[in-house]
Amino acid sequence: MLVINGPTDDSGHQDPGHPERPDRVTAVMAGIADLHLGSDLVVAPEYSATRAELTRVHEGGYLDELDMFCYEGGGDLDEDTYATYKSWSIARFAAGAGISAVDTLRQRNDGVAFVVTRPPGHHALRDRAMGFCLLNNIAVTAAKLTSEGERVLIIDWDVHHGNGTQSIFWNDPNVLYVSTHQWPLFPGSGTPREIGGLDAMGLTLNIPLPPGATGDVVRQAIDEAATPVIEKFGPTWVLVSAGFDAHRDDPMADLKLTSGDFAELGRMAFGFAPRPGRLALFLEGGYDLAALQGSVAATLSSMLGGEYQPESPSSGGPGSEMVFRARAERVLALRQAEEVPTDQDRVI
Amino acid sequence: MKPLRTIAVGFDGSDDSKAAVRWAFEMASQVDSDVVLVHAVGLLERARIEEVTAELRETVRRLTGESGFDHARVRLHVANGDPCSVLLRAKDAPLEADLIVVGSRGQGEHAGLLLGSTSLQLAEHSSIPVVVVPSQHADG
Ligand SMILES: [Zn+2]
Repeated sequence: MLVINGPTDDSGHQDPGHPERPDRVTAVMAGIADLHLGSDLVVAPEYSATRAELTRVHEGGYLDELDMFCYEGGGDLDEDTYATYKSWSIARFAAGAGISAVDTLRQRNDGVAFVVTRPPGHHALRDRAMGFCLLNNIAVTAAKLTSEGERVLIIDWDVHHGNGTQSIFWNDPNVLYVSTHQWPLFPGSGTPREIGGLDAMGLTLNIPLPPGATGDVVRQAIDEAATPVIEKFGPTWVLVSAGFDAHRDDPMADLKLTSGDFAELGRMAFGFAPRPGRLALFLEGGYDLAALQGSVAATLSSMLGGEYQPESPSSGGPGSEMVFRARAERVLALRQAEEVPTDQDRVI
Repeated sequence: MKPLRTIAVGFDGSDDSKAAVRWAFEMASQVDSDVVLVHAVGLLERARIEEVTAELRETVRRLTGESGFDHARVRLHVANGDPCSVLLRAKDAPLEADLIVVGSRGQGEHAGLLLGSTSLQLAEHSSIPVVVVPSQHADG
């Protein structure tokens, strides 16, 4: 069973010529339609995140300012990121969609959710919009889950590092953040030496990959570097920052993944969920519409036990060495962190 | 106080950032330091990065010439990220900057927006001193 969020009219959040555009959602919905799910497709109610839900991960002052900025007509927030008159409302629906999807999964105790929202969220910081993102959608849902006592694994396979999500949960012992991303690339964070804060040491796990890396390298990264950490953490929920801009046809980066690789990643994420109804994917990047449609369909199909796979998985690209080095650097960083006298570090 | 060996300046080609560069050259002449012009490459700019870098190089050459500052002590550093994060990393290798200089508004920054402002974000998060050169210094 696939749970998707109810359709929000996101057409008011667009900027002519900008790649983060409403057509992306149309492509995703076409990918879902390609699976012909029939009654296996369940629509969760549309839901706008409340202020209390948003302030778990964002500063109140930032929310007020974004609200006011949009109310006054919007504009550019930085070189990459825009907001319109309607963006504040649309972004709150995007941030609430995950909460609604998780509720639906819980009621049914079964299925997988795909939260089809824009604007995306994983670059949004506590106090700042950036990288096309206004509110950190996946973080809003993860923070709600941890407030209810859950332990949340966030896998971020978008081609860019999810700096916003990482920094929001930097010191949270109930969230494990795992990211694979191209390096170097925007936003420039995401080195293996970034391992989490004092209360969550080791619960940030970054695996940077070189341009040209193929699906086998990403799988190796998850298998060798992430799986042992995930198993030790023991998540009760799995959320995925599912960007599809690591696809070889995507114009924003240089990884060489195919839709078949996303199917494999979907299978892996599914395997980390402790039981049915505990896995939700959130749309992040993905800017080539055909690649997006095929990759979404392949990912969801593999999670639902189907075989829809328009392209075979890729292999043979560079990056194996970099994965190995990332593991070594991480071990070194963890050792060095242990050597720091903790009480001294805690003095404010 | 430790000597200022390297001054990092946020540089996006805007008038405000040019004013910051001029101020940094004056400061560097007085304290005998190097100047690194730091340019952050965002998601959208990446597609035309070569063209952008060439333009920036040209502007750097012109600004350096006009100021009379020693060309050999000026570098252009282009890095992926948003301006704030890239400048916050300037204190680390390879730049190891001792001071950050920025214009009061970066390109595309909205005048009414306080929290989005790179200069304010830097002032809040930087562990090395930050100088914000006011807009009045901008003269194109
Ligand atoms: Zn992305």
